[in-house]
Amino acid sequence: MSDPDADRTPSVLARLVAPFVDRSVAERLVISVAAILLSIAVGFALVLVSGRIAQCSTAAWTMPFTGLGFCYNPVEVYVVLFNGALGYPFAVGEPGLFNAGWTPFNLSLGLTLSETTLLIFTGLSVAVAFRAGLFNIGTQGQLVVGALATALTVLALAPLLPAGPIAGVVLIGVGTAAGAVGGGIWGAIPGALKAYADANEVITTIMLNFVAANVAYVLVLEVFRAEGSSVVATRYVPEYAQFRPWLFPPSSDFALLALLVGVAFIGALYYFVEHTSVGYDLRTSGVQAAAAEYGGVNAKLTTVRAMTLSGALGGIGGSVWVLMSEGRWMASIPDLGFDGITVSILAGNNPIGVLPAAFLFGILKGGALEIGFRTDVPTELVAVLRGLIILFVAMPEFFRMIGRYTGVAGGAGGAVSTGPEETAGGDGGETDA
Amino acid sequence: MNPAVHMDGITKRFPGVVANDDVDLAVERGSVHALLGENGAGKTTLMNVLYGLYEPTEGTVRLDGEPQSFDSPRDAIDAGVGMIHQHFMLVDPMTVWENVVLGNEPTTWGGLRVDREAAREAVVELSERYGFDVDPDAKIADISVGEQQRVEILKALYRGADVLIMDEPTAVLTPQEVEELYGVFDELTEQGKTIIFISHKLGEALSAADEITVLRDGVNVGTVASGDVTREELAEMMVGREVLMDPATSPQDAGDTVLEVTDLCVDDDRGVEVVSDLSFRLRGGEILGVAGVDGNGQSQLVEAITGLRDAASGDVRYRGESMVGKTRRHRIDRGMAFIPEDRQERGLVMSYDLVENGILGSQHDPPFARGGRLDWGASRGHAESVIEQYDVRPPDADAEAESLSGGNQQKFIVGREFERDPELVVATHPTRGVDIGSTEFLHDRLLELRSEGKAVLLVSSKLDEVQGLSDRLAVMHGGSFTGVVDPSTVTEEEIGLLMAGESLDDDSVEGAALHDDAGDGIDGSTAGGEEVDA
Amino acid sequence: MRNPLSPTAVLGGVIESDYLRSLLVGTVGAVVLLGVLGIAFPDSVFGDFSGIVFSTSTGASTARLAAPIVLAGLGGIFAEKSGVINIGLEGLLIISAFISVYAASVVGVGNTVLGIPALGVAFLAGIAASTFLAAVFAVVCIEFKADQIIAGLAVWLIALGLAPFMSTVFFGGVNTPNLGVSVGWHYSATLVLLATVGSWWLLNQTAFGKHLRAAGENPKALDTVGVSVSKVRYAGVLLSGVLSGVGGSALALSIGQFVGSGETMVQGKGFIAIVAYLFGNYNPIGTLGAGVLFAGLDAMQIRLQQLGYAVPDTLVQTIPYVVVIVVLALVGRTQIPEAAGEHYETED
Repeated sequence: MSDPDADRTPSVLARLVAPFVDRSVAERLVISVAAILLSIAVGFALVLVSGRIAQCSTAAWTMPFTGLGFCYNPVEVYVVLFNGALGYPFAVGEPGLFNAGWTPFNLSLGLTLSETTLLIFTGLSVAVAFRAGLFNIGTQGQLVVGALATALTVLALAPLLPAGPIAGVVLIGVGTAAGAVGGGIWGAIPGALKAYADANEVITTIMLNFVAANVAYVLVLEVFRAEGSSVVATRYVPEYAQFRPWLFPPSSDFALLALLVGVAFIGALYYFVEHTSVGYDLRTSGVQAAAAEYGGVNAKLTTVRAMTLSGALGGIGGSVWVLMSEGRWMASIPDLGFDGITVSILAGNNPIGVLPAAFLFGILKGGALEIGFRTDVPTELVAVLRGLIILFVAMPEFFRMIGRYTGVAGGAGGAVSTGPEETAGGDGGETDA
Repeated sequence: MNPAVHMDGITKRFPGVVANDDVDLAVERGSVHALLGENGAGKTTLMNVLYGLYEPTEGTVRLDGEPQSFDSPRDAIDAGVGMIHQHFMLVDPMTVWENVVLGNEPTTWGGLRVDREAAREAVVELSERYGFDVDPDAKIADISVGEQQRVEILKALYRGADVLIMDEPTAVLTPQEVEELYGVFDELTEQGKTIIFISHKLGEALSAADEITVLRDGVNVGTVASGDVTREELAEMMVGREVLMDPATSPQDAGDTVLEVTDLCVDDDRGVEVVSDLSFRLRGGEILGVAGVDGNGQSQLVEAITGLRDAASGDVRYRGESMVGKTRRHRIDRGMAFIPEDRQERGLVMSYDLVENGILGSQHDPPFARGGRLDWGASRGHAESVIEQYDVRPPDADAEAESLSGGNQQKFIVGREFERDPELVVATHPTRGVDIGSTEFLHDRLLELRSEGKAVLLVSSKLDEVQGLSDRLAVMHGGSFTGVVDPSTVTEEEIGLLMAGESLDDDSVEGAALHDDAGDGIDGSTAGGEEVDA
Repeated sequence: MRNPLSPTAVLGGVIESDYLRSLLVGTVGAVVLLGVLGIAFPDSVFGDFSGIVFSTSTGASTARLAAPIVLAGLGGIFAEKSGVINIGLEGLLIISAFISVYAASVVGVGNTVLGIPALGVAFLAGIAASTFLAAVFAVVCIEFKADQIIAGLAVWLIALGLAPFMSTVFFGGVNTPNLGVSVGWHYSATLVLLATVGSWWLLNQTAFGKHLRAAGENPKALDTVGVSVSKVRYAGVLLSGVLSGVGGSALALSIGQFVGSGETMVQGKGFIAIVAYLFGNYNPIGTLGAGVLFAGLDAMQIRLQQLGYAVPDTLVQTIPYVVVIVVLALVGRTQIPEAAGEHYETED
């Protein structure tokens, strides 16, 4: 397939970003933004329709002109979602644009950034596998295993070291390493199955998610359950072995340090993918396996490597979840792995893109909590948006078509040029035109 | 009487290109007409107009005098035009009869069941009428290429085609199968069918066609009766200048053995042995040509040598070292260059620019990588030098591989591999899709490598290429060499027999092979008698 | 010439591949062996196992659990044969499971609409919902050339969010209240058998089946004889929606409730369905066999728990998933249609 995409990038934006990135990246950016907006629009309609069907005593919103009453106010939902996720920096319904009392170090923004931090790791996990041409749907399971490995390691080592900040640093370091190893092994399994038994990794990783959740649950239930705990969970790891919440309220479960570690991982992974030989091998087998093989890349080894790395990143996500968010392993682990898929796809599987994508999705997750507090709309709305975003990002052709129809696109006729030259290129020149 | 096909003043423009410029074509009923021209001359475009794939920008198409306007191939089929594509449009796991009736299945039970009996019968009846020998119940995957071609013809006939368009019908056939195809032509024309075939081979146009129309740069250069024209005149019409038919090879003393293949057996993806007990030796300063119809194990042989496929048994020794169990990486490190047969699958990463493609295979080696880190500056310099030396267009290292034409992609691959400073070059179809000027240049570079003492294994389906460049010519059939001959003395007929799997007991041929076993170089003087194969 | 409809020919067609034959023989053999061992040693673990395998309640719950797997698997065959890999079967099952329960509760059990009883309406609604979602998937993949795997994942994730969302909107919680009635296992079993036979016929005996196969193997061959590849692919994907809709509705209505917590009540059956048809080598009969095998494992673990083997139930629940992984590893590369996963653009 030829790539006439570049011609169709909206020209203004292309000109703005052209000096920094190549045009296909710019196009991805436009598509990601468009996909989010479209998802929000569909979500808007969904809220409206459900609000019409649901039963409530007083209408939350009445449609102008028609007088129809709705149980949910879709505008309010999104205002609460985005404004609330940041801790209400914008004044709504009051004079002035900003709330005077707003500080960045508020609880809501802390919760949002906490989600962002976790999503950076799961997003990177999915992204690195994607770059190697592998769909790791198993980040969730790798995170579960990594989290358990971290919790158990830290709990086992803690009594051996004198309590204090030094022990804390050691425990966090060793615990995170354990999470990476646990998640890495859990990721290596489908990698090896793919490489040596040709088993489709999409299915095996999904199955391994179920296996991980069940086995970890049973292990904790039967062996490692904290005494007297009403839920299935391990004991808490010592306070000093957790990421400390600087600046933000402790109840936000957010540690700035963990976010910085995540950003460092983004940088490292970007460097790895774009500027190292092994990274070249990895992404080459991702885009064109036969060419990678031709170029001396060991396909099987690369598959296992990529899945191990991906699993390790998911495992570290689990470590951070234990050491920053919960302080222990517990059975009700949020869907961070699946959200990671959305983050990665939204980021165009580019490590750098994971940062804004994770933040955006962190806002959705943080905002979901606010929706739960302040409106009657079910917080599952965010899960729907997650799916919609993936769907829309997956169909770039749709946005290109819209671009063509509305005339936003720069080059014309790119899609329909089946001129002789293109034929020659596409068919390897064996046919003439 | 009106001609069966009359295309009048056909012009077809694409953005920026005129593919056909005011072309006239008239073909009499019951005749065979060849459409001759080089790649890019506009032959296929013209036929796509006739087949309804393209609407002409200007001009009219008449069948038996009736003006036609085709919106789609469907319309053309309904009007009695059938097309047999170069790459057969057959569904491999389905049977012959299923393929023939596909899309027009006779049904019973109110459409709930395909009427197998009726369908089979129709297929049997058609193949009997035209003297085709095909088993209606065989699966496409299990029959020969020649038979598959006949299935394609049956498909067109089943749909009521009176005019058959065939795109490069001999490209995939052995010389003997080609003869059979000419027989099929006779059967068809006797029963009033009209055949137009696209070709770039002078010989087959002269022997199979009643009339020949030559296209060059989208223009009809002339239509001639095949009896009234010589090979040279046709060549000049095609190319527009006099054609020199001899690549200049000079004698060369062979050096040390670089590649030695012993009793090599290789299986294909399905586990079927496609290379059987093959042995040969290749020395520095020597070009060993491998000729043969595609699909006789050449691909697997090359893959086994270059490390893309494990050998089932036997040994490949490269520069004195056994390559069994060694990786592709190891061979690259030891100086083995490889021009793969599928450039868009293997040779280039289509979404990468040329800077990134320039280091494919060298991504772990200095100067492009140091300590695991890639040096994009050095990579860019390398890509730019390949682009310049090998005349890759557009000369833009940031262009993505997929934006290049096939010929330029090929030039970039060849350049990258030649510049690796290899000891052995394994080149499969190195000039496929490349224009004549660049082909000459690539041939010169190959000969230069040879004179530098490098070994070259040249696999090509272009007979004139392997014959003209090689010091020795091996002909492959059914997984083994049916003969290793001296390309300067062997005749085309002899090669044809070898390609069909028969052996020669001609002394001179045996002598050539034995001669080499004795360890002497072959006098690779100029080869003669080849046809222009653009 | 042999009569293609003679019983031996039909049977021969069904058991065409050695692969399928060994699958059938292996399964039948294992069951027979278990029966013999169970009769010979009634007090051993074999006795308990064979008691489980041959008990009516295990049979009933196998039929119940097999319905979504087999039906979605059959649907998956149609989509994939046509060249569109539908990995969103799980989502289709989830959405139809919820909508069927919702429709039944709206109509009210015992009421009828146009003479159709509530459960019938529920089935139709479930099928409609699943088909609609499949249609969205089809448009996205065929019209907008989306990556099929990613779009399929999106279908799953959308349903995974949407069903609990709607459940909360309508019923105030992610789990719906129980309808109080359920569809008997006989219905599920009948639907499964009918769908299997029907699918087999459609795939192997009709012109549509041939077109479907050509669209997946060599779309250009189909296009050049004047059959629209897009239309065939749409039909394949929509059929996967219809069949999954039947499966999802059957699953929910056989219990009378939709459970939306966690991975919902579907619990990966859509993905197991994919393995079932791969294991069955794209043959409906093989898919039936594989689906019953997986469902049987699930049904057995339920019975095992009731018999009081001292194994944590969560661990036993894991068995089917592990078996799926093992099967997939053993089956390895299947004969996936040549052009599956690729977009096709007509030249005219």
